[in-house]
Amino acid sequence: MMTFDQNAFLIISTASMIAISCGLLGVFMMLRKMSMTGDAISHAVLPGIVIGYFISGSQRGVEVIIGAGLLGILATLIIDFLRKKAKVQLDASIGITFTLLFAIGIILINLLAYKVDLDQECVLYGEIAYLPIDLWITNSGFSMGPRITWLALLNLLLVGSFIFLLFKELKLTSFDEGFGMVMGIPAGAINLALMSMVSYTTVSSFDAVGAILVVALLVVPPATAFLWTKDIKSLIKLTIGIGIGISVLGYYLAFWADSSIAGMMVTVGGAVFLISAVLTSKKFKFRLGTQSNQEAFNS
Amino acid sequence: MIKQVENPLLEIHDLTVSYDQSPVLWNIDFSLPEGKLIGILGPNGAGKSTLIKAIMGLVEPTGGYVKIFNKDLDQVRNRISYVPQRESVDWNFPASVLDVVMMGTYGRLGLFKRPGKKEKDLAFSSLEKVGMTAFAKRQISELSGGQQQRVFIARALAQEADLYLMDEPFAGVDMATETAIFQLLQEMTKEGKTVIVVHHDIHSAMTYFEWIIMLNLHLVASGPKSDVVNEDLLRKTYGGKLNLLTKVTEIIRQQEFNPLKN
Repeated sequence: MMTFDQNAFLIISTASMIAISCGLLGVFMMLRKMSMTGDAISHAVLPGIVIGYFISGSQRGVEVIIGAGLLGILATLIIDFLRKKAKVQLDASIGITFTLLFAIGIILINLLAYKVDLDQECVLYGEIAYLPIDLWITNSGFSMGPRITWLALLNLLLVGSFIFLLFKELKLTSFDEGFGMVMGIPAGAINLALMSMVSYTTVSSFDAVGAILVVALLVVPPATAFLWTKDIKSLIKLTIGIGIGISVLGYYLAFWADSSIAGMMVTVGGAVFLISAVLTSKKFKFRLGTQSNQEAFNS
Repeated sequence: MIKQVENPLLEIHDLTVSYDQSPVLWNIDFSLPEGKLIGILGPNGAGKSTLIKAIMGLVEPTGGYVKIFNKDLDQVRNRISYVPQRESVDWNFPASVLDVVMMGTYGRLGLFKRPGKKEKDLAFSSLEKVGMTAFAKRQISELSGGQQQRVFIARALAQEADLYLMDEPFAGVDMATETAIFQLLQEMTKEGKTVIVVHHDIHSAMTYFEWIIMLNLHLVASGPKSDVVNEDLLRKTYGGKLNLLTKVTEIIRQQEFNPLKN
């Protein structure tokens, strides 16, 4: 009994768009060994959201996205400063930076509580199931459809063109930053641009999947795809495929179990990763036993 | 013994570099001629890699300046090529040999533009020069150390530069590959290119380099091989550590026997 369910279609396509945007950026974050910087950014943007909200008076103002973007860049700069100038280890500098900024965000929420109708909960956990009732109504009263779907589409278009236009530079600076800098490629600016896109994507996806689950979408699909392929273009394609796959499966499993869609998506993602890890390690042993160029697999 | 040259290709004036207040290069001052195969020699921690990185603008000097082709680095980036140390990158990166060599063409392409047939042809001819054509489609994670090094050199060749700076290109490379690469570098200098190589093996340095820079935090010597290679300067560069080394080279020279090359 298959009928077209408009709500299901909207939720799945929105979730897929968010998963693709996160996956595209996540591939390069992973290749730069910066996956946890994505985690840091997703939490560090909280003060920016609160300040943006305070200025615009609305949770949906463009000021919120700008505030979050600036805080994301600030977090990246602080992490970089701690690591390079203060010689703090990368994991420690990430831990210090994002907890500090997140804490400042919580204090700001409390201080501005009378002005800002915002709590930690709605930032940490989003709920995509409410998407069909959160509509974008134009001034003339015409409904354009779900607001979050439009946000996700805009986000996907911007992330997609960013990756498409700067593919060569992102690839080079992820592999060998020093070489890129010697050739005059602005590696620092490209890195900051990538971090800004991550901040923007995080904020844009808050309503739908929340800050914690957005991290999972940044990390898990690229890490899973990397188990299967060692070619950057297939890596990107497979990441997109996994993103769509876990959106579809996540939705129907959540529907069946009557549970959180975003939570189920990430659970499915985790399961796919584990299965992939087991399967590829079997493949590894199998190939090691049958191929002649064994030394290639020793490293 | 520091020999300055007229119309230098590379001029370094009073260069000082420090990490965390402690200087790793002191008042380096020399000039280099064009079209030569030049070796930078010195013990571990002498600042050889730092010197290369300072020339390339990858570390900020605390004093002094570098002029290349009598210009600032930013004006001549397209004429300079760089081979970093092999260990400086993660070879598990998802790329093929051809992908990495193509990266050498990105500098001339500029932002947003994609490499096309011209760049691909250039990458293939660079791979041919280092004898790696058969490996073009191979994943870089499946290469041996010597093959990785040749891929890096091919990438530098694809930059079509006039000045090449190579940081330890012979580390972990077998004798046959070392000889083949040195021959390639000699051919390049015959075409008027200048190649500067950080190197650790004194013996092969004597065979191949035309001009030698000796470094140990300070500049000990810079000049044609025949002028600067003597025990006094080598001892100054390597300190007491050279004693054993000179003895070994003496024995080898006397017996005309080289266990490494035979």
